[in-house]
Amino acid sequence: MENGDDATSSANKAMNDKERTELENLALQKVAEVSSAIDAARHVDEVICALHSLAVLIFSVDSSIVSGAVDQRFKDQILSAKCAADSERGSFRNNFYYGSAFPTMARLLLFEVVPNWLTQFPKSVRSQIYDPFFLEGPSIGVLEELIPILNKKGSDKDPVHDKICSSVERLLVLCYLKKEGIRRMVIEFDLVEKQKGVAVKKDDKNSVSRAAQLLASIPDKIRPQASSKLSSFSFFKEATIQLIAGAEEKSMQLPSVCDAIEKDSSQNYAIFFVGETFSRIIRRGSTDIVVSEMVPRIYDLVKSLLSSYSNASLPSVMESTPKFWFWLSLVETMRDQYSIERLAEGILRQLASRAVTDTEAYWILWLLFNRSYNHTVTIRAMFVDKFILWKVFPVSCLRWILQCSVFEVAPTMEGDVKWQKPPHFVDTLQHLVSIWSKREFVQSSSVEQQAYLTAAVGLCLEKMSKQELETAKDVLSLILQGVSCRLESPIDLVRKMASAIALTFSKAVDPKNPLYLDDNHSDVVDWEFEVLTQKKVIITTSSRKQFINKPKTPLPEKSRENLGDKETQKSILIEEISDKGVEDDEKDHDSDSSSDSSLEPYDLSDDDSDLNKTFTQLADIVAALRKPDDPDGVERALDATEKLVRASPDELHHNSSDIVRALVHVRCADVAAEEEEESSEEKRHKALVSLLVTCPFESLDVVTKLLYSSSVDISQRILIIDVMTEAALELSETKIITKEQQRKGNLITSTSQPWFRPGDRGPVGAGPWREVSGPGTSMLQNWSHQYERELPSRPGQRKLGKTRKWSVANSKDLQQEWSKNRFPMYAAAFMLPAMQGFDKKRHGVDLLNRDFVVLGKLIYMLGVCMKCMAMHPEASALAPALLDMIRSRDVSHHPEAYVRRSVLFAASCILVALHPSYVASALIEGNQDISTGLEWIRIYSLHVAESDSDTECASMAMNCLQLHSEIALETSRALESADRMKAQLRTLPSKLDNIIIPFANMN
Amino acid sequence: MASARPRPPPDPVAVLRGHRAAVMDVSFHPSRSLLFSGASDGELRVWDTVRHRTIFSTWAHSGAAGVYSVATNAALGNRIISQGRDGSCKCWEIEEAGLSRKPLFTIRTNSYHFCKVSLTKTPKSVQTDGGDSTEVVNLMALPGEDPSQVELWDLTAVKRVMSLPQNCNLNLAGQTSNQRGMCMAIQAFYTYETQVLNLLSGYEDGSMLWWDLRKPEAPVSSVKFHSEAVLSVAIDGLCNGGISGGADNKIFMVALDQQKSVCTVRKEIELERPGIAGTAIRPDNKIAASAGWDHRLRVYNYRKGNDLALLKYHSGSCNAVTFSDDCRQMASCSEDTTVALWELYPPKDRI
Repeated sequence: MENGDDATSSANKAMNDKERTELENLALQKVAEVSSAIDAARHVDEVICALHSLAVLIFSVDSSIVSGAVDQRFKDQILSAKCAADSERGSFRNNFYYGSAFPTMARLLLFEVVPNWLTQFPKSVRSQIYDPFFLEGPSIGVLEELIPILNKKGSDKDPVHDKICSSVERLLVLCYLKKEGIRRMVIEFDLVEKQKGVAVKKDDKNSVSRAAQLLASIPDKIRPQASSKLSSFSFFKEATIQLIAGAEEKSMQLPSVCDAIEKDSSQNYAIFFVGETFSRIIRRGSTDIVVSEMVPRIYDLVKSLLSSYSNASLPSVMESTPKFWFWLSLVETMRDQYSIERLAEGILRQLASRAVTDTEAYWILWLLFNRSYNHTVTIRAMFVDKFILWKVFPVSCLRWILQCSVFEVAPTMEGDVKWQKPPHFVDTLQHLVSIWSKREFVQSSSVEQQAYLTAAVGLCLEKMSKQELETAKDVLSLILQGVSCRLESPIDLVRKMASAIALTFSKAVDPKNPLYLDDNHSDVVDWEFEVLTQKKVIITTSSRKQFINKPKTPLPEKSRENLGDKETQKSILIEEISDKGVEDDEKDHDSDSSSDSSLEPYDLSDDDSDLNKTFTQLADIVAALRKPDDPDGVERALDATEKLVRASPDELHHNSSDIVRALVHVRCADVAAEEEEESSEEKRHKALVSLLVTCPFESLDVVTKLLYSSSVDISQRILIIDVMTEAALELSETKIITKEQQRKGNLITSTSQPWFRPGDRGPVGAGPWREVSGPGTSMLQNWSHQYERELPSRPGQRKLGKTRKWSVANSKDLQQEWSKNRFPMYAAAFMLPAMQGFDKKRHGVDLLNRDFVVLGKLIYMLGVCMKCMAMHPEASALAPALLDMIRSRDVSHHPEAYVRRSVLFAASCILVALHPSYVASALIEGNQDISTGLEWIRIYSLHVAESDSDTECASMAMNCLQLHSEIALETSRALESADRMKAQLRTLPSKLDNIIIPFANMN
Repeated sequence: MASARPRPPPDPVAVLRGHRAAVMDVSFHPSRSLLFSGASDGELRVWDTVRHRTIFSTWAHSGAAGVYSVATNAALGNRIISQGRDGSCKCWEIEEAGLSRKPLFTIRTNSYHFCKVSLTKTPKSVQTDGGDSTEVVNLMALPGEDPSQVELWDLTAVKRVMSLPQNCNLNLAGQTSNQRGMCMAIQAFYTYETQVLNLLSGYEDGSMLWWDLRKPEAPVSSVKFHSEAVLSVAIDGLCNGGISGGADNKIFMVALDQQKSVCTVRKEIELERPGIAGTAIRPDNKIAASAGWDHRLRVYNYRKGNDLALLKYHSGSCNAVTFSDDCRQMASCSEDTTVALWELYPPKDRI
């Protein structure tokens, strides 16, 4: 059949070719006539007439409207113009538009008519004989004529070019937005093929993509003052809507899905054009616009199917329904990898924000990406590699990604329906786990990324069975490795991830025996880890709280009621029995019954204070703490220690080191009952703090030695550091309240003068006290007596005419209260021994690598110490040492974020603690330690803020930078004032020259 | 009256110090003002309860064994039984200046357990009516080599009379007795009406058995009130009721119905802290006392079961409490090496 068609068509073609050239010539001739007429025109009406004469040949014109707008003499000419018959007009129009006539005409219209005449056209006439030249033509051809004009760069002030451009823009709005020209373009690509011959040259991909390029470039090319409809947002939105509509319409016309997809999708230019345009729009950064138009349509389509078809039949149903063909092949026709990726990402995020169900999302993704996923390696890599390992989506998206790309099966409600695992499944899991388990990954990637990959691994593991896990090579060991390296982390969230994976793994291996690594175990793992979606977290936590609260409250009430009932029943029973017994007894022993009343109960109140034998001697405490086989004794000793130490008895200084050693070595976990471990741990902690505070030097001596001793373990080292931190804080806040000073006057002993009168002490020659009455008060109400006396002037004192006044109210000032920071005097003892040897690796001590948690805590403690002596001179003395420590590369660039965080903290503390004047003097004196150290802080924080993977670190670095700039400002002020003072001093009279002024010798 | 604040609990009238180790048991002489106490270091002391002095001291059960229990009885007269942890019981003559140098006889029981020896208790009326105490066989009850078995020894003939449950039906009863665990407390007594020797024994699992020695094959009644080991059993003066304390936090006052052979709970007392090591009922049945691990002595109205006093003196866990036969004094002993004498609710003197 097709061959036959071809034969006849080729015959027709030969005939048509001849006819066409004739018609084309005719069209060109007509255009030339119009052109010359316009050139010769003196009046607008002449132009109208000329255009009208051509217009009637191409499309139907309502001549009456045109004639109504022109002068009488042209009216007849217009009305008499020959109207072509419909059939004639059709062939002429074809030749006009698909030949060279239209480009000529378009140029004529735009460059001649627009600048000179168009403004004089009445609106009705314009819509009749000017606009239709563009509207009636093929959208693609028109576009090709219009856009290049916008490209031409006229000078901005050129009014002619401006006019032309605005006209082109108006036409663009009219043709492509109002009259849905973009939709027509899509359909035209099909027609192009059917236009035998005329537009055959457009049948190659390049021209299609050129058209797409032109279309997508419109918003870039328009002038700034153009209509807002052509702005990229509204234009792309409209374009997307029209493109989708056109493509859907188009695919409905196709005889079968095969035409649309299978055989040669490259031939299907319509869909190719849509895909190209989309990718160009996406390249221009408007993915959201495309996605937000696409997703609702696909969602509705998929939803309409989901209710009526099962998962198994859906693929075939989709492939046999014309509505879906466009969507099935869209992504496949897109050539631009980048835009496909952006599109997929946009769709995933859009779906997540719409809260669609897993099944809906799966089918939407299947519809769009399944074909290319199966055929194209890059698409598969995008899903399996990029979307799982590099990007961070919400957890729901991750589930869909895994369903589509790893499980390759639609999610089912039943859950444990056995499904044939795709061949890549185990490989993918192995790949994921191998990355997940790497220590470098834990150290260097952001928390969100870690949570995301953890969720991916966990969701995959949920699908595994015991046998599969055992057969998959390396997965077991890798998971163990990953879990163990996460459990060591000081960051809570990372440990949580480890326990989540461990729980999932243990469930896969043995569902009846889940492994809970943390205390608050719930059966359902929350893969969001509170970082992957902020919004949802709030909801889940509140609901979880409710969940926890709900069953707890009613249960005890109920049981209490039950219990109460039982008790009352029992007691009734017992009462009955005992009553009976008493009666019997009374009958039997009448004589005794009277004496019963003599059994009057004593006070039955009880407390258990005496049960706990209290320690009163420090030596006893030491002895008790050293007996691990007497847990009660240790417990009680822990109870008593803090109180005894705080009382600071005389012998404390002799015993403190023993107590400290005993406390550090005592094992609370062994001693305390299960639930009381916390409290005894706390007591031990508090006792140590009290020791460090009451006799710092002795205790610190022991503690700092123990810190690096191989006889203690990590937990004890951490305890020591924690205790030192707290002690430093406490010492810095010590309040010393001076005793109320004895009043001078004596209340009881009768002396010659009343107690309230001030004493006679004073310089020789002072006059007697006179009572002064307060202003406006009678003697009775005057509670405070005021006295005054005359004092002789001191030698060399100028008389200013003041008298000293005394009153009872003044005595208040004698009770003073001030807080004094006691820490600075111990600061060196706290910090210097602790800083020694942190980088030495000894037996059981390896702060830089294995025990990085201790290192982090240590640096934190040192930072706190700095803070505690802020603005004291000691801070300036100790800061260089601390700076030296944190500057060492092993510390400041430690792979663990935890250590870097403490380094930043310590750096901030140094900045806070240094007095600006000290910094200033250091600068003047040329003290290298401080200035280079501070500069290092700035550079380091800049570096961290820019490039650290840990978000917490980055934000701390920002704070640190801020502090640095503050101290820099303060210092510069201090320097300025120093300069000024120097300058002032120069001008001072020579009398002051013999005073030594600081910095005076510096120039 | 009701609004008046209750009196503060009394202090001990005397504290007898002298022991160098935890005092395990105390016992009053039935007629003379003497008190016997045994300590865990093996020392047995005799105290004058009027002058509050030690009269005599001897190493009754030497070495690490220690004295576990001392027992006196009117039927035994001027003699005293001491039970040691060395697997023997010794009988001593009470002389003018204390005890005999050497025990009258030593019984090798070969039993090592936690149960104090029990002499038979005779109802008050019988004791006062009769005078023909010769008819009453002097028996001593304590767990045997197999600590789940109770052995009865004739103290006049110095030989073992019986063991409960009997060996003959060991298979049957052995099983049940094994389930009950060790015997932890024993009290032997004559019933008020029938003058038959009965025995109440408490076991490790909290159960108590009531035996009638005429029918030694099986216990008359078996009850389980305590949730943990029964540590002490005391029978009242009329021998138709008693009190039991255990390792749990409960004290039970029980009634023994001779006719129906049932043991019922008369009053259940719940305590704040668990562990009652010793119980006693005053011979006049007015008050009962318990010695607790929580260093406290508690005194109850025996008839009504309500609390009367909470005595806090001891600074170690209390091991035993006992009343004198004249009802005037109470003695308690404790791990803190002291013996305390109390005078509570003294009976009115009657002519």
